[in-house]
Amino acid sequence: MEVLESRSGNTVIIDVRGRVDSNTARAFEEKLLGAVAPADPALVVDCTQLDYISSAGLRVMLMAAKKVRAAKGRLALCGLRPHVREVFDVSGFSSLFLIHPARDAALAAVSQAGAPC
Amino acid sequence: MIGMIEIRLRNQLSEILRLADLVDRFGEAHGLASGVVFKFNLVLDEVLTNIIDYGYDDGAPHDIVVILTLAGAVITAEVIDDGRPYDPTLVPEPDLTLSVDDRPIGGLGIHFARTMMDRVEYRRDGRLNRLRLSRRADPEAAGSAGTT
Repeated sequence: MEVLESRSGNTVIIDVRGRVDSNTARAFEEKLLGAVAPADPALVVDCTQLDYISSAGLRVMLMAAKKVRAAKGRLALCGLRPHVREVFDVSGFSSLFLIHPARDAALAAVSQAGAPC
Repeated sequence: MIGMIEIRLRNQLSEILRLADLVDRFGEAHGLASGVVFKFNLVLDEVLTNIIDYGYDDGAPHDIVVILTLAGAVITAEVIDDGRPYDPTLVPEPDLTLSVDDRPIGGLGIHFARTMMDRVEYRRDGRLNRLRLSRRADPEAAGSAGTT
């Protein structure tokens, strides 16, 4: 697993690559939760190069969503590959997150003040 | 078409990556659809992670055996461990409709098995847990294991 962090305006972009499983979830947790600003965070998780995610990785995504909500911020995902998308669908997580095919749309979604998490 | 491999793993999480690699190779050798191989990798990862994290009290090394079989159009993965007795088919279904704030973390592993496999069968065999996971090799076939 590899995590690249960048910024677009006030939005933090987390580009997660490879496998997020029980071996790598802890490192992903540190990176992702560390990127949630204490007030009004805006976050996009780019999954374009995410090959695999297990429930250990979903757990981290859910923790980030809870933290973002508590800080009254916004979080969107983008670029989910079909197998990864299926994991989100089967777990019911697709309805918990804003999911866009492209990064630009995800960035636009989180930059709109008042949009739901 | 018939194929079988037996994989012996240590009870360490790092072994799951080696398992995934062997499952991928099994899939390639038998021309299995990538979506089906992904499902087996996911479900086996969840089952193995659970065994490794919660199955043992003694801190000692243990072997876990995974037997992958392709017989006709059906793929079966049997997971055999000597951890404490544990029947994952008895775990209740998670409530997938809860909101972000109410959604508990956990219970998804067996849910993946139930939805992505056709059959999930557990039996206690002396000192061993035996969990059989099977589904059709056809990627379009929906899993429908329920609890057996």
